[in-house]
Amino acid sequence: MNSQHLLARDTISKGIVWLLAVPALLIPTIVLCYIFWQAAPVLDWGFIVGTTDGAGFGVSDGIFAQLLGSLLLAVMACAIAAPFALGTALYYRTYASPRQQRLLTAMFNMLQGIPPIVFGLCGLVVLVNLFAWGVSLISGAVVLAMVVLPLLVLNTLATLERIPHGYTEAGMALGLGNGAIIGRLWLPRSWLNLLTGVLLAMARALSETAPIMFTATVFSGVVWPDSLFSPVTTLQTHIFYLAQESNDPQVISIAWGSAAVLVLLVASLGVLARLLYKLGED
Amino acid sequence: MVADLTQADCLRVPAQSLEKPSSNMEVTALQVEQLGLQLDGKVILQDVSFSLPTSGVTSVIGPSGAGKSSLLRCLNGLLTQWSGTVLVDGADSRQWRGGWDRLRRHVGLIAQKPVVFDASIRANVCFGIHGWRQRRRADELVEISLRQAALWDEVKDRLDAPAATLSVGQQQRLCIARAVAIKPAILLLDEPTASLDPRSKQLVEQSMQRLARDIPLLCVTHDLEQAQRLAGRTIFMCDGRVIEEGESNQLFSQPECIETREFLRWSVCDCN
Repeated sequence: MNSQHLLARDTISKGIVWLLAVPALLIPTIVLCYIFWQAAPVLDWGFIVGTTDGAGFGVSDGIFAQLLGSLLLAVMACAIAAPFALGTALYYRTYASPRQQRLLTAMFNMLQGIPPIVFGLCGLVVLVNLFAWGVSLISGAVVLAMVVLPLLVLNTLATLERIPHGYTEAGMALGLGNGAIIGRLWLPRSWLNLLTGVLLAMARALSETAPIMFTATVFSGVVWPDSLFSPVTTLQTHIFYLAQESNDPQVISIAWGSAAVLVLLVASLGVLARLLYKLGED
Repeated sequence: MVADLTQADCLRVPAQSLEKPSSNMEVTALQVEQLGLQLDGKVILQDVSFSLPTSGVTSVIGPSGAGKSSLLRCLNGLLTQWSGTVLVDGADSRQWRGGWDRLRRHVGLIAQKPVVFDASIRANVCFGIHGWRQRRRADELVEISLRQAALWDEVKDRLDAPAATLSVGQQQRLCIARAVAIKPAILLLDEPTASLDPRSKQLVEQSMQRLARDIPLLCVTHDLEQAQRLAGRTIFMCDGRVIEEGESNQLFSQPECIETREFLRWSVCDCN
């Protein structure tokens, strides 16, 4: 085979790879551009920090309450899930037998694949109705915690696995017990990467709508929850309601504006997570 | 008679019986009897028996894959699935009061590659000391340990600098200081100078000889010249077994087993 043939084959394979890769890059870019183009008419500082009086479904005011509601749910979900995720990952690494390790890995991979609406349904039956917590901040946070738990566990496991074995062994050789190994070696070394996982889990929680629709949120009448057992309003469900219920172009613009803010929020968390990860690796 | 031993004879006779025990061998810091180890169905160690005197350096030599490093990890309790008996100061290591963690404080281990923790030089030396109050008040111990590891003069003015800023040779000596700071009764070293430059190697050897005045050191090494320099005793291992052991001078000048002679001459061992 001469060099011209080789060059032609190389060009063809490059072309095929490009053809396959371009849509994957182009489509999300177009979608993002479209969201921000649609949101542009309403997207200003007043829109983000403006609050509603709770009435009128927020079709004409700012989205500050919804933004804070989303953040509150995501933060609470991660605060609930993170200790359990850390505990599970530490158990996996220190005490679990190989059989238990296989079982745990399979279980969390499977849990990650369960549609979030199923968690929402469980939350509705158990938390809202059985425990009588009602549609509330705490019900939504617990359901979201269940949704992000597998992600947090798998991320924590990956973080702990990146600690070199020799590092742990050097601690063991000094007679350090499991508690000291965890507290004085593993956590100080990997806390930045663990925090990265928490931020990614927050981004995931912010992206979820279905599980909180019938466990935590209402569309109108709420600005800020009075207690853990009060309902909350969020960006996700706000977009859902505005897009579904209104034909008014102004209202649709608010929905686009809310979507743009949500995208920015999730993207910021992703970027922050990436920065922390890089910092942790250095 | 010993010189007439064939290869098969050498392997059949327990290593300890190949020579008369010297007077300082009667009191032992560590006694290993018929130690065996299998990992994933593969035999790593079999019928390993030897003892360590209460001070001095004992070198373990042998080809790669002879089970030398695994032996150290069994003695230190990092590997626990072995069979046989290990007596540390006359007590069974499996029944050690306080368990394996406590045993590891008594039988220190320094790995081939230096591993320093993400902390200052001072914090690294104190790392194994129990209790944060004790660690904060350990200035004297830090100096003693660093002096024993022949590192004090190089770091005394920058004890709060990150340990990672030290050279590899200095890091290895820091690991020695860290192990010494918890006052082990026995110190195991797994090729401690394998990746060091000649100057660092010399300093580590000096440090080892200084330590060996007070405690027994069991040092795995591929460097036959180093084993001779360190003097003391030498154990030759091949294929998971102890082939021969004795005073270093004697073993290097007049090896009794054909496997030892082959290894010392050509660095190969065919003991199957």
